[in-house]
Amino acid sequence: MTEIILQTTLNAVYAASYMSLIAVGLVLIFGVMGVINFAHGELYMAGAYTVVALYSHLNFPFLIAVAAGLAFVGLLGILMEYSLFRPLRDNPLGGLIASIGFLLMLQTAAVLGFGVRMAHIKPPIQGKIELLGAVLTYQRFLVIAAAILLLTGLYLFLRKTKIGWAMRACAQDREAAALQGISLNQITRIAMFIGASLAGVAGALTAPLVSPTPYMGHSVIVTAFIIIIVGGIGHLEGAVVAAVLYAFVHTFVTTFYDGVVADIVGLVLMLLVLVIKPTGLFGARERA
Amino acid sequence: MLLEIRDIQVHYNGVAALKRVSIEVPVDGIVTIIGANGAGKSTTLRAVSGLTAISSGEIWFDGARIDTLPPDKVVARGIAQVPEGRRIFPDLTVEENLRTGAYLRTDAAAVERDLDGIFVRFPRLKERRRQWAKTLSGGEQQMVAIGRALMAKPRLLLLDEPSMGLAPVVILEIARIIKEIVANGVPVVLVEQNAELALGLANYAYVLETGTVSLHGASRDLHENEHVKRAYLGV
Ligand SMILES: Nc1ncnc2c1ncn2[C@@H]1O[C@H](COP(=O)(O)OP(=O)(O)OP(=O)(O)O)[C@@H](O)[C@H]1O
Ligand SMILES: [Mg+2]
Repeated sequence: MTEIILQTTLNAVYAASYMSLIAVGLVLIFGVMGVINFAHGELYMAGAYTVVALYSHLNFPFLIAVAAGLAFVGLLGILMEYSLFRPLRDNPLGGLIASIGFLLMLQTAAVLGFGVRMAHIKPPIQGKIELLGAVLTYQRFLVIAAAILLLTGLYLFLRKTKIGWAMRACAQDREAAALQGISLNQITRIAMFIGASLAGVAGALTAPLVSPTPYMGHSVIVTAFIIIIVGGIGHLEGAVVAAVLYAFVHTFVTTFYDGVVADIVGLVLMLLVLVIKPTGLFGARERA
Repeated sequence: MLLEIRDIQVHYNGVAALKRVSIEVPVDGIVTIIGANGAGKSTTLRAVSGLTAISSGEIWFDGARIDTLPPDKVVARGIAQVPEGRRIFPDLTVEENLRTGAYLRTDAAAVERDLDGIFVRFPRLKERRRQWAKTLSGGEQQMVAIGRALMAKPRLLLLDEPSMGLAPVVILEIARIIKEIVANGVPVVLVEQNAELALGLANYAYVLETGTVSLHGASRDLHENEHVKRAYLGV
């Protein structure tokens, strides 16, 4: 029994890791720009397909492909900011709808380039850690370590650097930030790069574990929304805590009951939070 | 003139909020803009700071046209604004709020000195420097907002209703601070609904009524003007 619990815990930590990366990116984009990026799941998918292309097809080393996924999806983010969100800056609903259009374009591009079938990727890293009978593959360990590293890096960036500081100011009051001389164009561009690249790197790192399809973004975006609502919209730390909470609940319920029940429990969790504390566990402040 | 607003118009969704407004601000002293709710006072300051686009006219600062610049570039030219409602960053500390004001400055040592200067001027803020800004009282928040603008080392300071929602004794303190700022060589544009306060502080005044300047002149003269007395001074 302890074996199963330990194993399930490791599985949950793994799920929490990549979901945190995705959810935090989404929150960052929402916080700084005020738009909900519906294409976020497809950015995750684009990261996974970067690995399919570079690692599976062109035989580049896995970590190079992951780095390329991070950079490529980050640039996709900048493209979105420049072509969609900037012209629609005063129109958050328009930004949301434009991001749905972008989602369809990314999906179509993936279908045209790689087909609709699942891409199977040979495991780049063999081996596993065994711990009291539970197993953690190096591949999953890599995802966990990368998530901890990247999220810690992001935290330090937001707290310690001038740009990070400006980003927090923008998330709290964009106009007031502009009145301090902070360039909204620069900050939103950087936020979009970081937010998108976190989704991209999550997709790239998990690609060998999930068998990418062009439609893999769907389930991810739904989960990310649940996490954001539970954590408190616009709250970065809340997103991480909620990702961990959600991953544990979902993984344990999946293991001991089944996946459908787990999805339902996840939604019930979200509804409970909405009823009891509509601003999320961390009580994000209302946006002006 | 340091700042010249020439014949500007601003439209919100096709509706004119400013209709050919012209205002001049000299290199020293206080110019005030008074007017009722919705007259267009905030819109005027927002246009200067680049937050709201003008549909015609020109804005000149220190010999250069600034009406097409984005807000951060206007700050870079030397115009700081304390916006209506203070708009401090609630989830930054008092000290962090003040430091954002110096965002564009590169003279790190002078920034530290100016920060100390702000804490001398506002001892209440010094005690609370590590506190979240949202936990401050209204008067303290206004001081943070003014301190933050001063941290930019501006050449012109725009103040939008600094007295709003404050107790009379706090208003007196704000008035003292404004005088001090001007005495230190930074000219001020003061937008106020509290006409008594504004005319008492300012050298020159503009009266804005539904998007047009209806009157302007030395504050002293406007203070005695019958229309101003009736409409804004409540006598
Ligand atoms: N963002 C906006 N969208 C549409 N109309 C606006 C907007 N901001 C201001 N207005 C309108 O423009 C006019 C001028 O508003 P403004 O805020 O400049 O007035 P004000 O003189 O500052 O008033 P107050 O003393 O109440 O602050 C008003 O009729 C207002 O309704
Ligand atoms: Mg106003």
